[in-house]
Amino acid sequence: MSQFTQQVILGLLLGGVYVAVALGFSLVWGILNIVNLAHGAFVVIGAYLTWTLFAHLHLDPFLSLPIDAVALFVIGYALQRGVINRVIRAPVLFTFLLTFGLNLIIVSVLLVIFTGDFRSVTPGYSGRALQLGSISIPYIRVAGLAVAFALAAILWLILNRTRIGAAILAVGADRDAAQLVGVDLRHAYALTFAIGAAFAGVAGGIISTFQSITPTAGDPYTLQAFAVVILGGLGRVSATVAGGLLFGLIEVLAQSAPGLGSGYANAIAFAVLVIVLVVRPQGLLGRLA
Amino acid sequence: MRGEKVAGVLAAAALSLAACGTGNSGSSSKGDPIIFGAAVSLTGAQSKEGGLTKQGYDLWLDWINQQGGIVVNNVKHPVQIKYEDDQSNPNLSATLVQKLITDEKSQFILGPYGSAASATDAVVAEKNGIPMVEANGAAQSIFSHGYRYTFGVLSPAFKYLTGVLDMAATLSPKPATIAILSANDSFSVEVAKAIEDYAPTKGMQVVFNKQYPAAAPDVSGLVSQAKASNPDIVMNSGHLAEAIAINKAAKQLSLNAKIFAYSVGPSTPDFIKALGGDADYVYDGSQWTPQVKYQPSFYLSVSDYSKAYEKKYSSSEPPDYHVAESTAACLAFQKALENAGSLDPTKVRDALVKLDVMTFFGQLKFDDRGINIYKPMVVEQIQKGVHYTVFPPDVANGRPQYPTPAWSSR
Amino acid sequence: MIARVRTMPLTWRRTAMAVIAIALAVVLLAPLTSTDVAQQAGLPLITDKLWFRIATTVAMFVTLASAWNIIGGLTGYASFGNVAFFGLGAYGTGVLVSSLRVPFAIALFAAPLTAAAFALLVGIPLLRLRGHYFAVATLGVGVAVGEVVNNVGALGASNGLFPPIIRSDLLFFYLMLGAAAIAVLSTRIILKSRFGYGLLAIRENEEAAGVIGVNTTFYKVSAFVIAAALTGLAGGIFAQWNSFINQENVFPVTYNVEMILMAVLGGAGTLLGPVAGAIVLELIIQTLAGGGSASVYSQIGLGVLLAVCVIFIPRGVIDFFGGRSRLSLRYLRSTLRETSA
Repeated sequence: MSQFTQQVILGLLLGGVYVAVALGFSLVWGILNIVNLAHGAFVVIGAYLTWTLFAHLHLDPFLSLPIDAVALFVIGYALQRGVINRVIRAPVLFTFLLTFGLNLIIVSVLLVIFTGDFRSVTPGYSGRALQLGSISIPYIRVAGLAVAFALAAILWLILNRTRIGAAILAVGADRDAAQLVGVDLRHAYALTFAIGAAFAGVAGGIISTFQSITPTAGDPYTLQAFAVVILGGLGRVSATVAGGLLFGLIEVLAQSAPGLGSGYANAIAFAVLVIVLVVRPQGLLGRLA
Repeated sequence: MRGEKVAGVLAAAALSLAACGTGNSGSSSKGDPIIFGAAVSLTGAQSKEGGLTKQGYDLWLDWINQQGGIVVNNVKHPVQIKYEDDQSNPNLSATLVQKLITDEKSQFILGPYGSAASATDAVVAEKNGIPMVEANGAAQSIFSHGYRYTFGVLSPAFKYLTGVLDMAATLSPKPATIAILSANDSFSVEVAKAIEDYAPTKGMQVVFNKQYPAAAPDVSGLVSQAKASNPDIVMNSGHLAEAIAINKAAKQLSLNAKIFAYSVGPSTPDFIKALGGDADYVYDGSQWTPQVKYQPSFYLSVSDYSKAYEKKYSSSEPPDYHVAESTAACLAFQKALENAGSLDPTKVRDALVKLDVMTFFGQLKFDDRGINIYKPMVVEQIQKGVHYTVFPPDVANGRPQYPTPAWSSR
Repeated sequence: MIARVRTMPLTWRRTAMAVIAIALAVVLLAPLTSTDVAQQAGLPLITDKLWFRIATTVAMFVTLASAWNIIGGLTGYASFGNVAFFGLGAYGTGVLVSSLRVPFAIALFAAPLTAAAFALLVGIPLLRLRGHYFAVATLGVGVAVGEVVNNVGALGASNGLFPPIIRSDLLFFYLMLGAAAIAVLSTRIILKSRFGYGLLAIRENEEAAGVIGVNTTFYKVSAFVIAAALTGLAGGIFAQWNSFINQENVFPVTYNVEMILMAVLGGAGTLLGPVAGAIVLELIIQTLAGGGSASVYSQIGLGVLLAVCVIFIPRGVIDFFGGRSRLSLRYLRSTLRETSA
């Protein structure tokens, strides 16, 4: 029983990471209708920033998260304004292909700068854990989960309590109407994309504390963000949070499949995803568009 | 710092003396260059390992050309290596090997990194009748299909962690239970299977054996399951990224085993850099270490090899075994060409079949499938951030620190 | 530009057609110079093993892009999981020739059948989804199938399968070319048929298509199954040609993106767009990949090229054969005007 509890806790902790990764992805997809294939690359940029600050300036990884956010915000804003905006209203496939190209460029540039070496951020407290009987809860992973929840709260506040958020939501609902009531479309687009990138950067910072980073490490995270958004449903912060936690749980529990069945963990996770899609296309908590 | 420089200069001087020595001895004339081709991963997921492979090839290339080249039938042929980047994509690797053979006129192929690319390239080599010596695909499955032109210098997968069990059997108190976490790629599965088969013969029992998808995002769930089985030995057959992640998770979840042994990862500097003090006490099965005591019949001695590496790549770290095994592939070709006395691919292939030579990397000799089962693997342990070879005792320069203390008391 | 294309002088079109016909004839006949008969007759050797390798790869991608076009371009269902069909086709043939020693000539038929059967099975539930949801569901299926195959012992699990080597370059080139021809011909037949009009109707407005009497489920699933069979056929040929298949090899997620890229850049929904897209893009990829050790820069180049293509010639590299694409330049121009206003 305690073994099961331990698995559930680890699943939720992993899920927290997925929440952080998927929030920005979901925002950009929901508002701009862009499936950003470079999202994982943004995550990796954030991870490398945290690593660089940790390795050279001994900055605590959690203190570097705001720096990741600002840097990625700037990158995201510039990319949207300069490049992606040009095909923002073209069919979905075009933004798909464009961001695929951007991903290729970012990964290659990262490879030139950082080489293919495996980097990892291991602060002194990395191995500590809260012991509850036979159950261990690693502090650093709990901190990651807390950051993920904080991100979700920030996003909710931005969207529901600020003028910028109102503009962004208006754009998501009806672009033309938003423009009519005086929303600067290009600015609103770029802000949305920038916020999405900033969140990806923070997620990358968290990830660097428990995963090894390489320039190509981002692609799985794009795929997982995809899965989380589908699982939870598009269009609500709470849906992304639920989807992320659930996906983490599924992955970890699938690893407990008996015998060598754990090798099927990925297959199980994606099979669940497909089943959810077929049975409930709007996701578990999503609204139908 | 200064000491290192002086050592470097001395090594360089020694090298150039050696070069002069052999350079003057032969009265051979100068022939056309011999062209080797290699499609290694310089970008993509395996760019790190691909880069190490290229370093190993280049190290030999510099040396052989300092000697004036390979002596074939009393003619000295300088050597060129043409590189292509397979972007860690095995399907691309096949096309590039064909390009190396057709366009770049490569006469011989040096292998890529990884078992999938090696298998794909083996087929191309076979179809072209061009010998390929590979140094980085340890899965045996490649060699059980009667391919005639593919040879592997490295010890096959099943040897990776069985050495650790041999060592464990000599320790006291003797560990009795094993947990295996293995990636589900061909190489890692072969490693895990070998442990399972071998453990009972050493009086040990595998109490936990699970696979995870290659490049799993998070292994802490598996680590906590392994902890529940309370093993004396924790083994991972996988890759560097997972070795780091498993070690971190083991500490976080206070999985205290007497031995932590990982197939791939701990031998690289990245592992120690990533984990710091937590990397201590970790064992790995290694194809080669800079401490091994082989008496080579040609090329550099083990210590000169390390020096040459540190000089060429301005590295403070000795070469990783990926580098050494790649160099060994070149040595196999060099000796086979010398023995064949011909550049004809079939004759060189026949010479590879008969090859039996001692190098800094160990014995190079192939069984009838083309696998080098004759070279032993060694067991390394990280002690205070430094690699020590701890088994087998006749090549070791350190003793195993056993048992690994509990995480809470480190 | 569209206007110019439509009024392009007939002579120009004829010349273009003639050039293409000659190029096609050269590609078709050149390989024959490698046969012993031709060599003994003293004909010049135009093709070498590398030529075959690349030409066969290009033909393979023509097949994949054209097959994707049937479901993605004509029907408007952007599948991101077609690689599952490729892989299943490869394994269908692969397991027969390597484990059961069935002759390749017979085993090849298993490839399209395996893929089509699977498409029928998953197509009925999946094709109820639309847009992104369909895309993600197919992507998930693609990943899941690859992962399952990698764990099944009878399929070689992680070791993969090793079909015995067949040494004829000519055979695999013509087989793959045949697959490509079948794919293009099928598209042509579909485009000219009632079935094709039904698919286009579904793409433009599925509800309306249903109202005017198109059995949308049957049409969509049929298109999906046809695309799967063609993709699977290419996979089956690949298995024998490459003589080694495993998950990494025949279920690469990048193939999904590549085949879509080719179809869309060439002109999705057109007959020859995917063909042109596959030829041009695959040749570019192969050329850039052959850049020796500087290829990290060539990958940056590929990314830039992609971005430039998407932004400036979204309608595809050839737009004067079809005109059926709804992804029109005019559409994009107006978009650009709106967004940059």
